[in-house]
Amino acid sequence: MDKEIIEHGFSWNRRRFLSTMSLGIGSVALGSLLMPDLFSGAGVEDGLAPGIPHFAPKAKRVIYLFQNGAPSQQELFDYKPKLRDMHGKEIPPSVRGTQRLTGMTAGQSSFPLVGSFVDFKQYGQSRAWVSDLLPYTAKIVDELCIVRSMYTEAINHDPALTFLQTGSQQGNRPSMGAWLSYGLGNENKNLPAFTVLLSRGVGNGQGVYSKLWSNGFLDSVHQGVQFSKGEDPVLYLRDQEGMSRKERREMLDNIAALNEISYQSFGDPEIASRIKQYEMAYRMQTAVPEVMDLSKEPDDIVKLYGPDCLVPGTFAANCLLARKLSENGVRFVQLYHQGWDQHGNLPYEIAQQAKDVDQASAALVMDLKQRGLLDETLVIWGGEFGRTSYTQGTLTKDNYGRDHHPRCFSIWMAGGGIKPGIVYGETDELGYNIQQDPVHVHDFQATVLHQMGLDHEKLIFKHLGRRYRLTDISGKLVKGIIS
Amino acid sequence: MNRKLQVLAEQACVILLFLISFLVLFEDKLVLPYWLQPIGRMHPLLLHFPIVLLILAVLIGLVGRNPAGENFKLYYNLAGGFLLFGILLSGITIIMGLFLSREEGYSGETLAWHKWSGIIVFYLGCIIYRMRTWSRNSTGVAWVSAVTLPAILLLTGHYGAELSHGEDFILEPIIANRKASEVPVEEAIVYDHIIQPILDRKCAGCHNPGKLKGQLALTDSLGLLKGGKSGRLFVPGDPGTSLLLERVHLSLEEKKHMPPAGKPQLTDAEISLLTTWIRQNAEFGRKLVSLDETDSLRILATAYLQPAGSTGEQFDFPAADAKTIQKLNSFDRTVAQLARESPALDVSLFNRNTYTQKQLQELTPIKEQVVSVNLNKLPVKDDDIKSLQQFINLRRLDVNFTDISDKALPLLGQLPELKTLSIAGTKVTFSGLKENLGSYKKLQTITVWNTGLSPDDLATLRKTFNTVQFIEGFRDDGKDSLKLNPPQVKNALMVFSSNLDVQLRHPVKGVEIRYTLDGSEPDSIRSPVFDGHTKISKHTTVKAKAFKPGWLSSDIVSFDYLKNSFVPDSVRILFPLNPVHQAEGAETFFNKRLGVIGANNPAWANNWAGARDNDMGLVALFKEPVMLSSVGLHYMLETETGIFPPGAVEVWGGADENSAKLLLTIRPPEPPKGGKARLGMLEGSFRPHAVSYLKILVKPHRANKDHHLLLIDEMFLN
Repeated sequence: MDKEIIEHGFSWNRRRFLSTMSLGIGSVALGSLLMPDLFSGAGVEDGLAPGIPHFAPKAKRVIYLFQNGAPSQQELFDYKPKLRDMHGKEIPPSVRGTQRLTGMTAGQSSFPLVGSFVDFKQYGQSRAWVSDLLPYTAKIVDELCIVRSMYTEAINHDPALTFLQTGSQQGNRPSMGAWLSYGLGNENKNLPAFTVLLSRGVGNGQGVYSKLWSNGFLDSVHQGVQFSKGEDPVLYLRDQEGMSRKERREMLDNIAALNEISYQSFGDPEIASRIKQYEMAYRMQTAVPEVMDLSKEPDDIVKLYGPDCLVPGTFAANCLLARKLSENGVRFVQLYHQGWDQHGNLPYEIAQQAKDVDQASAALVMDLKQRGLLDETLVIWGGEFGRTSYTQGTLTKDNYGRDHHPRCFSIWMAGGGIKPGIVYGETDELGYNIQQDPVHVHDFQATVLHQMGLDHEKLIFKHLGRRYRLTDISGKLVKGIIS
Repeated sequence: MNRKLQVLAEQACVILLFLISFLVLFEDKLVLPYWLQPIGRMHPLLLHFPIVLLILAVLIGLVGRNPAGENFKLYYNLAGGFLLFGILLSGITIIMGLFLSREEGYSGETLAWHKWSGIIVFYLGCIIYRMRTWSRNSTGVAWVSAVTLPAILLLTGHYGAELSHGEDFILEPIIANRKASEVPVEEAIVYDHIIQPILDRKCAGCHNPGKLKGQLALTDSLGLLKGGKSGRLFVPGDPGTSLLLERVHLSLEEKKHMPPAGKPQLTDAEISLLTTWIRQNAEFGRKLVSLDETDSLRILATAYLQPAGSTGEQFDFPAADAKTIQKLNSFDRTVAQLARESPALDVSLFNRNTYTQKQLQELTPIKEQVVSVNLNKLPVKDDDIKSLQQFINLRRLDVNFTDISDKALPLLGQLPELKTLSIAGTKVTFSGLKENLGSYKKLQTITVWNTGLSPDDLATLRKTFNTVQFIEGFRDDGKDSLKLNPPQVKNALMVFSSNLDVQLRHPVKGVEIRYTLDGSEPDSIRSPVFDGHTKISKHTTVKAKAFKPGWLSSDIVSFDYLKNSFVPDSVRILFPLNPVHQAEGAETFFNKRLGVIGANNPAWANNWAGARDNDMGLVALFKEPVMLSSVGLHYMLETETGIFPPGAVEVWGGADENSAKLLLTIRPPEPPKGGKARLGMLEGSFRPHAVSYLKILVKPHRANKDHHLLLIDEMFLN
């Protein structure tokens, strides 16, 4: 017993210590003059309490259609006729420079360039080049801002993916969605601010782990909630058989009361989080089935997204679901579509992957637009890095592969105050290096935060003595794509 | 005080009195030698001393004004001393100031006020000093000096500060902030709202009618056109010869660089704005929006008026009480501040089941602040719209898929600030919109998808209300036929023991599924339509295809239904399974769960039991003997990655281990090299045999010295 009492004494955290010691208030007030962030507690910086945008936002919500595995830009958005002219010729060393290679091509003695197997055409008023693999996307180019000059620092999937999502190649940092949840809070208090939807295509897949939607050091209410395709889209949300809604309510009230007592005596902020999460789960019990119900979608919506949108677990179904979640006030809907890692057998696999996502991605943009939501919803489509202009493995008549390439890749954004109908940035004629307007991953992240009304340099959380940002210590706004 | 010092100081004051009078009288004729300039420039250094001394003198004089007081003499002497040295220093300061004012760049009203009030301070100080010695005990003198001297001192200081720091120096941050927030881009005039404010902020501190440095005033268009001592500032249309820009572009070290080093400099954006404005003929009345959208001046100016960070509209109504906002927030109603330091509020309602009009009525305390309301998909009635009319600052309203109709349209038209309206999926009609949209004064965008407007209706509306952007959307014109996705199977398990109802479904409404059970291809004429009454009682391959008018028919899918009549009472494994492919061990083979192809599939590893370096062997026991006549194995084949069908299968059966005999041997043919991965069934039959003990040995495929992996998910005993 004595031991517990002593332990209890030690378990006071600073905030509780300060708030309980009435005598201390005067000295703390004085102290705060000397140390401005004395009051800033765990992460809250002076005067920038989270929950309200720093300035009027252009976008209120984000839907991120992550193409996991790194789609080949040479086959989708970055038209390089020169590659066809030089098909089979060695890539000039002056172009390749000192770029490090992955373990998969490091042993290759020759690096022949390979032209795209697919043709490109220009579309819309923007005259943007889009490959024949994306006929539906091609129709909406005037809504899109295609960025062809993204680049990253990582060369393998997991670090690159983690870098794009959390701003750091190592794990344990909060994901972009968690940062937005922290910075802006829930719009709909019956649903989490950050949700995750997974799907996979036939192509070579790469792992997607829950660390990618982690809250990191932020409060656990900011964690991404995965919606799966089964009967229980959110695991463990359903009541046990025989439990009525009323009983559940009473049980939660009693648990909350107990947790409250526990919070009073220990003061651990995670207890307060737990109370909030129980309540959220209770609300989700009714809100989620309503959102997940696709059976009421009219026929023309099915035609818009393609019939797969009614097959749970497909990318199309997830796009439709993403629209419904977003429409219901979910700040950040993160989709992952796996299978874009075409080291070999690229022509067949990428065609399949493109078919999986093309119609539904375009449909999502159009669907948001026809509901008047596109202006306040930012849709992002892209992978974690690009692919090489030279082939991986042997180049045969109708088959080739492309290895990982961090120096350039293409993504598109739509809505949310991003300039529509533009193509931003340019790579060299071999599609290997960026020639104009490079956009670093941190620049991209800064821009996304900016559209949501957050200054990436001010969205800060102090943890273990250091101030952390999504953009770490760099990142600048890409002004050229903001309307 | 030292008497000698006092006399010396008094005499100095008299000399100063004459000197100052002389200087003031003959100021215009004065030519200042350069070596005296530093003395003039020390004016701002010295001026604070006399101020402090004079104020101290006045205060002490006031405290010790009573001649009968205890320490009257001490106070009197102290005040006198301070006064004397205050006067002396103020005199010196004035002379320095007069020197300084002779330098280039000081003239105008403010200087005159500063000069004369300063001189008055000096004269007044002298008079007071003199009067004190005449009537030593006068409290009147103390009072008069206490009122007049500080007042004039203050005046002098004020004008002096204005000279060096510019007008409104102290309140500038507040005023500048207010000014910037006043003009919306649509109403901005390039000169009034962009060019002049830049000059005000960066130039007019010195170049104003009060200070007139270089004979130049940049406080209005007249001064700007007139120029200064060195001539005209610019020729409209020719930024290359502009004196103004020349000074701006000189390097910072140059003496003629403007604004002078140490003062706030023009930013790059401001310089390019000035340059472009001059290049485009320096028009004073030009409205920003009258410029072409791609015009560089317009782009620069718009960016300048709406700098990134403070995007969007600025609101001039007061903020609502934070507690009220908090109180109005509930689980189903979110009231959120648009941004920090913005009074504007966004309101979103979510829950269909709890929505009532009351949720809108309750928002009255924040009716002025609400700028956007989202009621999408709620059962909002026409009558509820009346509760929205209180929101006089409402800019954006989303009422997609609500129950409103044409009756709501006149009510919405009374919202004075409404810019964006979304009414997709409502019952509003063409005539309703045509009659009412005229009263929507500020409407910019309206979303009318899914409202039953025909393309012609829309064209008419677009023509009638040409300032409004109509957003329509996807309309199924039946031209682009889409291919249906294939039917799906709904049976939870594809393995059954005696018979089973085939359950097929299709996610799209109104789809017809046609199927065959004999392995032939289903078509839209001969094959039966699936109606939910298809029973099977043996291994069956169901092939199905989906049809719907207006769609292309789907690809054919095939589903294998497999029968296993006898589930053993116990199973044990004879040899270890491959460490990677353990599945559920002995349970794997009769759990009715089939595996699928693809290492990327999450369920991939769970159902496949594997063996490579040794045989896969199992013993199954039945408490009651069963009449067995066939044994089957379900396997995976993917030769590319080294997954092969079994090399051979032996089935032993009998009453017990000792009496068991070889019932069946299967030697599958060599699999073809390459090809797609697929699942296969290996089955063999024999004469019915009563079996309580069953041993199945499966040997991995061997080619030369290579052992290939063998994967089995299920076995079938019939």
